[in-house]
Amino acid sequence: MRLLLLLLATMGLCSCWNWDPNGYYGPEPPRHKVWGNKPVYDTKTSAKTIQYLPGKQPLKQAGNIYAFRRYIFQVDVGKGIHVIDNTDPAAADRVGFIVLQGCAQLSIRGNYLYTNSLDDLVTLDLTDPLQPREVARVAGAFPEMNYNYPLVQPADTGYYTCPRYDSVVVGWVKDSIYATCYRR
Amino acid sequence: MNKQFLLLYTALFLAAATIVAGCTKEAANSAASTPDTGKGGSLARFTIARDHLYAVSNGYLHAYSLENGAAPKKVGYVPITWDVETIYPYGKYLFLGSRAGLFIYSIDTASAPRMVGMASHARSCDPVVANDSVAFVTLKGGTACGPATSGLYVHDIKNITKPQLVKTVPLPDPVGLGLQDNILYICCGTAGLKVFNVSKPNEPVLLDTIKDGLYVDVIPYNGVLICFVQDGIILYDISKPESPVMVKKIAS
Repeated sequence: MRLLLLLLATMGLCSCWNWDPNGYYGPEPPRHKVWGNKPVYDTKTSAKTIQYLPGKQPLKQAGNIYAFRRYIFQVDVGKGIHVIDNTDPAAADRVGFIVLQGCAQLSIRGNYLYTNSLDDLVTLDLTDPLQPREVARVAGAFPEMNYNYPLVQPADTGYYTCPRYDSVVVGWVKDSIYATCYRR
Repeated sequence: MNKQFLLLYTALFLAAATIVAGCTKEAANSAASTPDTGKGGSLARFTIARDHLYAVSNGYLHAYSLENGAAPKKVGYVPITWDVETIYPYGKYLFLGSRAGLFIYSIDTASAPRMVGMASHARSCDPVVANDSVAFVTLKGGTACGPATSGLYVHDIKNITKPQLVKTVPLPDPVGLGLQDNILYICCGTAGLKVFNVSKPNEPVLLDTIKDGLYVDVIPYNGVLICFVQDGIILYDISKPESPVMVKKIAS
């Protein structure tokens, strides 16, 4: 049973990278250019650089939350972590943003925030939550994040260019493309 | 069960969880005390318990020692079922929610988690919260996760090695959940935030349904219910846990 599930999941993982002749996962690949999503790449090294942007930044895709002392942290899926000042809940708002490509989740203990920077486990010193800084990195702690990180597919449905594995997708733009993938 | 869903769940199962008032009250910030961990939601794939960070990744449960919090060090890992989606700590146990059921691991030996119990149920996605005697699990049927009936599943865990299903309450699209005293909050997406009285865990009583957003997960924290909604965060005053009062919405 478990083997069957595994098999199904593997098929599931592969499914969006291939055109299904039965059209189940989408129409046949068009031979002409179509309007669709094209990946915006960054190198793995550069995409793993952590920055802090002070001030309120727009929230693109709300992700999970973490409460810590008078702050709330909210993941912006694949992009980073918003820092929210919750000193007075009635006036709570975003006050800064930690840029973390591929970010999916976080946890906090003492003055340290643990999160993922793509497939790495990183530790940020939160002594001053408004000036977080990286203090440790365990490379490759989350291997599945190499092919299953939050931005590996565009947010909307339709045609898109399958991303390469040697780089990191940091965003998607609309363009006239030779589509190689389709998202239901 | 395609990539889209896996991605969705990666997106959903983000932050880490440590519930139960005892271990989350802000500790005095002295070197001698245990560092406080704050509190995460119920949709987590890594979590902190007993000075270790536990991470679910690629069919393994990894243990990192946080003895030096500035430099997590991997101290052990055990193979687990491949489809574990959430991890929730309680005392010396980790509750792992998978599509095949609820697995209970003992972290008596923090570097070597060991499975001590399992509650099997129809396949589903299932965030978990627990207290001394009861584990509350939400199962979402009709999705990639499986055909189980969507709803709240209440397991008696007085005997931790043999969880007993004592009650199921059908609910539409339940996702994250949070427990404050005898009040259980369950996010049901567009169907709202369900407020249950669970003073008798095997007879949850629906008190209210709140519809200010599309709810994904909740954290009751210091008298405030922090809700992760599709477009941001909504904060409710829960000085009366049974009747949340909206105080702020922080949207995109």
